[in-house]
Amino acid sequence: MTRLIEEALFASTDPVMLAGSVCARCSAHVFPEQTSCPMCTGVDVSRVALPTTGVVWSWTTQHFAPKAPYRTDEFAPFSIGYVDLGPVIVEGWLLGRTSWTIGEPVRLALTKAWTDDDGQIVYTYGFEAAS
Amino acid sequence: MSDDAIYIVGVGMTEFGRFDGEDPELAEQAIRASLADCNLTWADVQFAVGGTNGETKPDNMVARMGLTGIPFITVKNGCATGGVSLMTARNGMLAEGHDIACVVGYDNHARGAFAASPARYGIGPWYGASGMMVTTSYFALKIQRYLHEYAMDARTLGYVSEKAFDYASAHPLAWRRKPISVDEAMDADMINDPLTRFMFCSPDAGAVSLVLARGSRAFDLCDKPVRLAAVTLRGRRPGSFEVFSPWLSPGPRTSPSVDAAAAAFATAGIQPSDVQVAQVQDTESGAEVMHLGETGLVAHGAQEAGYRNGDYLVDGSLPINTDGGCIANGEPVGASGLRQVHEVARQLQGRALGKQVPSRPTIGFTHVYGAPGISACTVLTTEGA
Repeated sequence: MTRLIEEALFASTDPVMLAGSVCARCSAHVFPEQTSCPMCTGVDVSRVALPTTGVVWSWTTQHFAPKAPYRTDEFAPFSIGYVDLGPVIVEGWLLGRTSWTIGEPVRLALTKAWTDDDGQIVYTYGFEAAS
Repeated sequence: MSDDAIYIVGVGMTEFGRFDGEDPELAEQAIRASLADCNLTWADVQFAVGGTNGETKPDNMVARMGLTGIPFITVKNGCATGGVSLMTARNGMLAEGHDIACVVGYDNHARGAFAASPARYGIGPWYGASGMMVTTSYFALKIQRYLHEYAMDARTLGYVSEKAFDYASAHPLAWRRKPISVDEAMDADMINDPLTRFMFCSPDAGAVSLVLARGSRAFDLCDKPVRLAAVTLRGRRPGSFEVFSPWLSPGPRTSPSVDAAAAAFATAGIQPSDVQVAQVQDTESGAEVMHLGETGLVAHGAQEAGYRNGDYLVDGSLPINTDGGCIANGEPVGASGLRQVHEVARQLQGRALGKQVPSRPTIGFTHVYGAPGISACTVLTTEGA
């Protein structure tokens, strides 16, 4: 049994794609989806699938376990980054290692976040090295 | 002097660090110290503003100070609370004609990094559950990008910490007064790359109070009043990079600090290069570096050379955070912005409690910045000797 950390974050899971919103007036993309545009104050926005590849815009590695509401089965240091997808820069986990270089190419992936009390595995999104 | 001019005539501050008592005890100590500093009593205060991020109600300080019936406004604006409190007091004095006002800020935080709730910021629970609702990682992500964009070495961050603890070592109210070297800062445990344990401020306890007077009274109450030449508050625009942001816009970057500082300099009729002593928000070493750039005090990318040259030390060209800043004093949120004003006011009056800037500065500047993307700045001036 599996579930997504938050259904609304995803436009699809196979292939995995994140869902944001795009403003009809100023074309700004935001993530996650919201019902208004913070860039131009507009309200004519619609749901859109975001690009799935980009480059690392910034990164850090979390060396201590965050306080609640963070959930994990067992803490190990993990990387977080901002990934430049073109129309928007999205924050997410950087998967597979703990040292990164700004500008390196990455692609969207699903990854395990934690196991619920009932044994259900919870998946979230992250970005893995694409080269 | 103009009756619309607002002056700081009294300052009071508790020691910063750990405190076992009740929050209002701290606030009372600071208020009484600030009133004693200008030979006034609570009965003279016509208007008060108080800020805290905790659970107590600042406006209930009247239960300790005296039920004089004055208006007392409570402010809760995160890390910018001190600056907002000061602005609220200034505005109230000018709008209502009060001659004497008291501004107090205090907090007494639990140990460890702040735990933030996604719901309070309008973000879904997934964001916190996946470990991204963490202030330290935000600071790290922001300075990592900044160092990359302006081609500065991470060692710059070690210089910031060395400077902070050097200033604090001489300051009797600072929390952490043990000097550390650049190497010690760089070699300490990594918290969030590129920031180590010695580069962060910690939540702690402290209180600061200021007594303000209008121009017609200020010079009767104080030998060397400090003029509040500007106090400004700004929020974020597109292109700012704020804490707890699941996304950023790809366009050119800006910050509420850019706007608040520019407005403060314009109001005061000065240039950033006129500033002789300053405080900028140093929630961690990287924040100080970025805020020197965003406020216009130092050109973006020139900070590394400035630290290496000692420009920001007490005998340098632009002494910065001369009481040790947040890094050495911790950040009791409600008090922190007022601590900055307390320090700069004392520097301008020539009576710093720690290291005194020797060049007789007459123009000072303070800057606070905090979630969810707000900044408040002041310009403080004294008349030349």
